[in-house]
Amino acid sequence: MSRISGGGAIVQEDAIRDRTKLSVAATAFGLSAAVSILFNTGLACVKDAYPPVFRFMMSLTGHHWITQGLADLILFLVLGFVLMLAGVRMNGNGLAAIVAAAAVFAGGGLALWTVLF
Amino acid sequence: MTDIILFAHPTFGVLGILSALWVFVEVLNASESNRVRIRRAALIVPLFMVLAWGLGGYWYITHYSVDKALILNGPWPFAHDLFMETKEHLFFIPAILALYLPIVAAANLAANKGARTMVLVVAALIVVNGLAIEGAGIVIDHGAKLSLMQWRAK
Repeated sequence: MSRISGGGAIVQEDAIRDRTKLSVAATAFGLSAAVSILFNTGLACVKDAYPPVFRFMMSLTGHHWITQGLADLILFLVLGFVLMLAGVRMNGNGLAAIVAAAAVFAGGGLALWTVLF
Repeated sequence: MTDIILFAHPTFGVLGILSALWVFVEVLNASESNRVRIRRAALIVPLFMVLAWGLGGYWYITHYSVDKALILNGPWPFAHDLFMETKEHLFFIPAILALYLPIVAAANLAANKGARTMVLVVAALIVVNGLAIEGAGIVIDHGAKLSLMQWRAK
């Protein structure tokens, strides 16, 4: 948001920042997407390595994969709405880097986990 | 009917990938004139991805066990051990990103460089992940086919 007081340089700086910042919803759900993607890989590894977790996930919905999908979806939505309440706005380039890093790490981690274990 | 579900799953996946590519190209040329088109295209991506998710999930839970047994007893057991085990969890990455895409694409992308970068990155990740998953699907299908061929030759 542009400010009237504080001189032309500050007004210009604010205008540039406004053109690179994401909305509250885009920031909240972007962060939530990054966390959910990492959580998905973590849960896949934990349920593979620790049979009680696998059995517990089976018992919840009848199939571990349904439970995993629902857990990812619920985490994405709930965390997104909670972060929206915080009202944080992030720079688009920064959040894009976080989401890309999360996707590469999570995807590579899944493949590596399957190959090694 | 089961064959239709089996074919519809990758078809909707490909349509989701193509829609994400469409969003990517539109956003490279973001302006006031294609603002509405970008938003509509961004809404189509999760629609196709959710259909691919639902149909693939239904097939995986109700019918895949037969294919799994075939593949594991055939010459390409890694088609399940490596490719299916990765694919079934990797799918959630583009699915979540597809759900996020319309939220970030709702911004004025012609004016907001940050939002534009975000949409480009998310769309590109959906395309790359989607293509990897489609490729894994082909390997799984071939694993089952090789197993049947081996069984027939005996």
